[in-house]
Amino acid sequence: MKKGTIILVVPTAVFSAILLYLVIWNAVISFMNWSLLNSKPTFVGLETYATVVRTFQFTNSLLHSIELSVSLVIIGNILGILIAALLYFLNSNKARSIFLSIVIYPLAISMAVNGLIWLWLFNIHIGVDWLLVRIGLPQIPWLSSTSTMFPSLILVTVWAYTGIAALFYLAGFMNIDKTIVEAARLDGTSAFKILYKILIPNSLNSFIIATALLFLFSFRIFDLPYVLSGGTTNIFLQTSELYMYYLFTVEYFSQATAVATIITLVATIIIIPYALTVIRRWIRR
Amino acid sequence: MRPVIKASLHYLALAIISVIWLIPVYAMLINGFKSNFEVLSTPVLVPPTKITFEAYASVLLSLAKPLINSLIIVIPTSFISAFLGAMGAYFFYTLSYSFSRASSAISDVLFSLISLATFIPQEATLLPLTRLMVSMGFLDTYIGIIFALLIFYIPTGALLMSMFITVIPRSLIEAAKMDGTGDLKIFMKIVFPLSMPGFISTLIFIIIQTWNNFFIPLVLVTTPGMKPTSIAVLSYSGAYGTLYNDTFAAGMLASIIPLAIFVFLGRYFIRGLMALGGGGKGV
Repeated sequence: MKKGTIILVVPTAVFSAILLYLVIWNAVISFMNWSLLNSKPTFVGLETYATVVRTFQFTNSLLHSIELSVSLVIIGNILGILIAALLYFLNSNKARSIFLSIVIYPLAISMAVNGLIWLWLFNIHIGVDWLLVRIGLPQIPWLSSTSTMFPSLILVTVWAYTGIAALFYLAGFMNIDKTIVEAARLDGTSAFKILYKILIPNSLNSFIIATALLFLFSFRIFDLPYVLSGGTTNIFLQTSELYMYYLFTVEYFSQATAVATIITLVATIIIIPYALTVIRRWIRR
Repeated sequence: MRPVIKASLHYLALAIISVIWLIPVYAMLINGFKSNFEVLSTPVLVPPTKITFEAYASVLLSLAKPLINSLIIVIPTSFISAFLGAMGAYFFYTLSYSFSRASSAISDVLFSLISLATFIPQEATLLPLTRLMVSMGFLDTYIGIIFALLIFYIPTGALLMSMFITVIPRSLIEAAKMDGTGDLKIFMKIVFPLSMPGFISTLIFIIIQTWNNFFIPLVLVTTPGMKPTSIAVLSYSGAYGTLYNDTFAAGMLASIIPLAIFVFLGRYFIRGLMALGGGGKGV
């Protein structure tokens, strides 16, 4: 291979290597008893992990992260299919792209700002509750009650990320041979039947992509719970990332690296197969 | 069902979804123009009785510096990431020519790495990243924040550009290779100009991502004067006991640039998003 060819990849390779270095350094330190007071850290094996996984906050926050991701994957996929179907059966391309933009725009705004606005919408006196009460629905306590706090976070996450699922399902539907759908329509098949007999069965790839992306986006979410709970210590909204950041701020460095390594591991299990199968396939041709 | 009823139900469903989805941006828009008293006393969803600019006037002053900081960080980060990423993407493209086992292994490893950098929870690199920045003397500097963002966004650029570069006809590149042109030159003269729409999509996707990036500056900025907008808006958070009309005006000012880009160049952003899922091809 020529020198000019190698130069092309140097920046990407160098910065990717730095990232790999960060990840590996993190993993190595998690096996040592490094702290501010201990200047000569030694190898302690899985001791830090054993300590950290026994804490209430660790299981609590990891369960939150997983609960959030799984909820988003399920709700996002269902809503995504419904929205994509509504968009698919539109006759006007213009209307389709406008409605699609409306469900995707939350991704263009920072989650911190989204969080700030939702804090107001969740106000039980003047927020959306005001409207719910006026149209005769019960008042929902949102962030004011420990039982509705976490579902409120899920709600905002669904609002923010469902657009991704809708986008990939719509792209999948649009790729299905138009003549099959047209033939079915001429036979008088209802839209619902077309959806679950033709569109959904042919959307396995959309399902894989939407699931992977929804999982990865929600698993890494930090700013939204950070803003909604006003910091890192609210145990009802604490996700793994928040807990890890909390450990960092109170200078429990070894434990922070252990949690970070677990987070990286969970994400990597999804990322690598996803990258090598789904994304990679389309470059290899 | 009559077709007319069907069509109106169809649009009704879409209208309901749209209204629900637009509530936050609607709330942000109208409440920024309320007086402080009105924000606290009237429902969030009710428009102001009298439009005032007092919130914007007070917020603009304190957000001016963060907005400039954001621009100083985002513009170089996004251009460097998209361009250097495009170079990396062309390297992958040339690798896929040769079918030797070694090059396909290299390509798989590198591709896994750039995907890891794109999708990894950035929070997980908190400690080593901070330590690296401190050791290089980059803590609390523009260059430090840009450098840290590049670690994640050059790979993102490479990943997205890998999708967009595949549209370039192979015959063009092969012809240039026959003439003995080097790959670097082919990239500059043929690949880069031809993949301009993809480059713009990548650029816009990265601009919006970095503008909204919260975690990196949260960790690497230690003085108030260095805060970008994504962090600066936190001081208007209701969780700290202050609920003012300023919150909405601050949110609007922090979102105006990404929102404007989304409204006018949204199709490029959406294409960037599609590239995360293999470009939407064959889904």
